[in-house]
Amino acid sequence: MLARDRAYVAGVLPAAAMLSLFFIGPALWAMYTSLTNLALVGLDAANPRFVGLDNYIRLFGDPDFRVVIRNSVVFVIGSAVIGQFALGLGLALLIDHAERRGWKLGAVAYAAVLLAWVNPTLIAGFLWVAMFDFFFGSLNMALKALGAGPVDWLGSFPMLAVIVANIWRGTAFTMIIFIGALRTIPSDIYEAARVDGANAWRRFWDHTLPNLRPIAALTLLSITMSTFGAFILVQTLTNGGPGIATETIALYAFHTAFQSYSIGYGSAIAAVMLGLNLAFAVVYLRWSRARA
Amino acid sequence: MTARAQAAPRTVAAQRGGSPLEAIAVHAAFVAAILFFLAPFFWLFTAAFDADAAAYIRLPSRFTFDNFVRIFAELGFANALRNSLLVATATMVLNVVAVSLAGYSLSRMRLRAKSAILYGVLLLQTMPLSATMVPIYGLARTLGLRNSYLGLILIHAAIELPFLVWLMKGFFDSVPRHLEEAAWLDGRSKLRALWEVVVPVARPGIGVVAGLSFLTAWAEVLMVIILIDKQDMKTVPLAFYETFRTQGGYTEVQYGLVAAMGVLYLIPVMTIFFATRRLMVRGLISSSRGL
Repeated sequence: MLARDRAYVAGVLPAAAMLSLFFIGPALWAMYTSLTNLALVGLDAANPRFVGLDNYIRLFGDPDFRVVIRNSVVFVIGSAVIGQFALGLGLALLIDHAERRGWKLGAVAYAAVLLAWVNPTLIAGFLWVAMFDFFFGSLNMALKALGAGPVDWLGSFPMLAVIVANIWRGTAFTMIIFIGALRTIPSDIYEAARVDGANAWRRFWDHTLPNLRPIAALTLLSITMSTFGAFILVQTLTNGGPGIATETIALYAFHTAFQSYSIGYGSAIAAVMLGLNLAFAVVYLRWSRARA
Repeated sequence: MTARAQAAPRTVAAQRGGSPLEAIAVHAAFVAAILFFLAPFFWLFTAAFDADAAAYIRLPSRFTFDNFVRIFAELGFANALRNSLLVATATMVLNVVAVSLAGYSLSRMRLRAKSAILYGVLLLQTMPLSATMVPIYGLARTLGLRNSYLGLILIHAAIELPFLVWLMKGFFDSVPRHLEEAAWLDGRSKLRALWEVVVPVARPGIGVVAGLSFLTAWAEVLMVIILIDKQDMKTVPLAFYETFRTQGGYTEVQYGLVAAMGVLYLIPVMTIFFATRRLMVRGLISSSRGL
């Protein structure tokens, strides 16, 4: 190694130390701790025992965990794969269309969607707690004005409520990516198709969609990962309830560790989460490399 | 890592027009979208100035600044603001230094394992905080980083670090090497050459690093919840979280107070973000993680 390369290694060190401490370290810690019965308080807090794979065996026999996995899948499919993706794609197409037509309202819609995305998640949670409020929330007040009865959104339809809030929060990501992709489709393709007599629907089907397909796959994976890890929004809205109706895997790890005081068991859940996420991430990086 | 929006030349003028029906349908869709996305914010900003704030959207029954006065007088919000500014600024400075050094070094280093390292860095970026919060809590407790600003600053700096290093490496790749080589020949040290010659050229990248780091540290709440439980050390997100838990929604409802805090929590985010919108959108999109 040349002397100049040694200086570069030194330059990488501070960042590498931070990454080791807060990414690699916690992952290793979770894997190790998941093999123990470490507790937050009590006897097992001071003297944790090595219990082998007990936590994992318990996890896969845990009926609550099955519900939690199902909740996570419903939440991810409902809010990301269907909600954010469809709404984001629709808005991108409309905004791109409005731009080509010279209509101004598209830019306002763009800013509104963006604002819902950049505001802190905690505020998003609070805003939707108010929107869904049973007695005086905006949604029920609007229903009342229409002569319909109040709906207990967070009690009767908790999963729908967190899905709506997460769609509101995350649609911008998909929208921005598709607007970018639409801009790279040159206008003359459409001109040529128009000259050939293709109607708007044919032009969309034959030219727009095929151009969006590769980026769509990446976007789907990306929003799946970020929704899978969503925590604060669900925690502020329902905290996993009522019962465990909206308890996703991220909340289950948190509640197990900090409310049931079982750090060892909570770490096993975290380790499963990290494993699933790693699988998604590897696929994601492979696909995005194939594109680059 | 994707939205490289190369705006293709387009013939906008040629495509104006269309049927009135189409114009009405598209505009109606926009109005619906704007209502859906802005209504909650409209509520936040009216409730904050309402002497008797309710959970539903309405113009203030009586316009007042009382809610803002009360969060400072009764809920110690000034202290939380000061703590947050300290943590966010320190995070920003730490990240600008660490990310510049690492991004530049990775850009100039000749190493066979380099692409593997970069691949690993990107993998780290996809790790969700909600999966690592239990281990981070455990580690922080072992290392004495709980109830410590140092711990909070380090972890907030680390959250976006993988992505920012990767981003800056890209920026430095586009800075020609002869710039710094000329500076070395002038007798400047490597570090000085980086600081005085290379970093100024990569200024847009540094801006994204600084802005995103500040905003992350300002907005992030999960790590604050698990790391801080001393009252006088709490930052704005934690103050908001606690007020929300005690004053809003769940028990005695004082929406005005929570909304006022929310406005002050939100305004720096909106200001920084919309002032540097283009750069930040590109940054956040590539990091594929919201705030």
